[in-house]
Amino acid sequence: MKLNIGIYWGAACGGCDVAILDTHEKLLEIADMADIHLWPIAMDFKYSDVRAMKDGYLDAVLFSGGVRNSENEEIAKLLRAKTKTMIALGACAQMGGVPGLANMYTREDILKRVYLESESTANTEGIVPLEGAKNGAHELELPRFYNTVKTLSQVVDVDYTIPGCPPASMQIYSALGLIWDNMLPKKGSIIGAGDRALCDECSRKKSEKTITKIFRTHEKLPDAETCFLEQGFICLGPATRSGCGSRCIKSGTPCRGCYGPLDDVADQGIKMLSALASVIEAKDEKDIDAVLDTVVDPLRTFHRFSLASSILRRKKA
Amino acid sequence: MKRIAIDPITRLEGHGKITIFLNDEGAVDNAYLQIPELRGFEKFVEGLPVEEIPRVVTRICGV
Ligand code: SF4
Ligand code: SF4
Repeated sequence: MKLNIGIYWGAACGGCDVAILDTHEKLLEIADMADIHLWPIAMDFKYSDVRAMKDGYLDAVLFSGGVRNSENEEIAKLLRAKTKTMIALGACAQMGGVPGLANMYTREDILKRVYLESESTANTEGIVPLEGAKNGAHELELPRFYNTVKTLSQVVDVDYTIPGCPPASMQIYSALGLIWDNMLPKKGSIIGAGDRALCDECSRKKSEKTITKIFRTHEKLPDAETCFLEQGFICLGPATRSGCGSRCIKSGTPCRGCYGPLDDVADQGIKMLSALASVIEAKDEKDIDAVLDTVVDPLRTFHRFSLASSILRRKKA
Repeated sequence: MKRIAIDPITRLEGHGKITIFLNDEGAVDNAYLQIPELRGFEKFVEGLPVEEIPRVVTRICGV
């Protein structure tokens, strides 16, 4: 029997959906495996169709994107009720992803910048989105824009996670195969990724790492064969799960951590910070600090994708 | 007054809904396109090292 699946996005960019489409001819196999009952980017199903489903009707939901507003949360909860298996797809659903960087600010900071201060916005009346508005007899509603970006597992029970920003297409395909073949591992597992650090799969030459200075990418030309970190460029490989196929490394750019932490690591960014501190050549803590101080933008470097799931979580309100 | 909701609008990148109000004769009184999403890139790219911008703003739209 074919699987019944739903594909949905919260605070997302659509890249995870495109990664599904990028399975190319395998998409035909997915279509043989599964009937799709919701997929806003590609098919015309409405929320009313989902509400009309019996609870547990869907075998699996692939949910990309974080939870940024009350609509994301409402649909996440609706889909949780309608599906047997909830899968967080991609870095945003898993860890908040890049949109989770909004947790560096408050809700008001963001609304002010976007609607009142942005150079390209003409808004002389100072209108910001309201949850409810009336135009004569017409009443309209918008979702509540939250103060804090949340991960999917912070609002609903998540069964599996396919990491990546976006996940590698073939990893999504193989993860769907696990559902089809009834081979899913234990609940809570990461699927469609490796279980080692990216460094363990990276083909760049590694020797004893000793850094005395951190470089930004425009400050010197990286050698194409040597480990980025050894050359003084911050690379999140030591703190990041493998499974991406080293896409960034092979394109000549250091890892920024989109595949998230390994099992049992509470905070990817802090893990990276400690990995970095351990390769700095210094006599004492003061020297290490002096080198670390040269990191220009530590929060958005070490927690590029994981701020919403980190122990830091957000700016103090 | 009758109200028709097209929610969500589909086959595009992003979130949107259309609400249409019909008057008693069944004609369209008014229609509203609403965008129920915001992420706030305008704010959180502020101060980001310039060499990191390409890998952040590519997450505005991945389609
Ligand atoms: S994980 Fe990356 S590709 Fe997927 S929705 Fe988020 S930003 Fe887009
Ligand atoms: S730090 Fe980066 S470049 Fe170095 S081995 Fe790890 S993944 Fe490869």
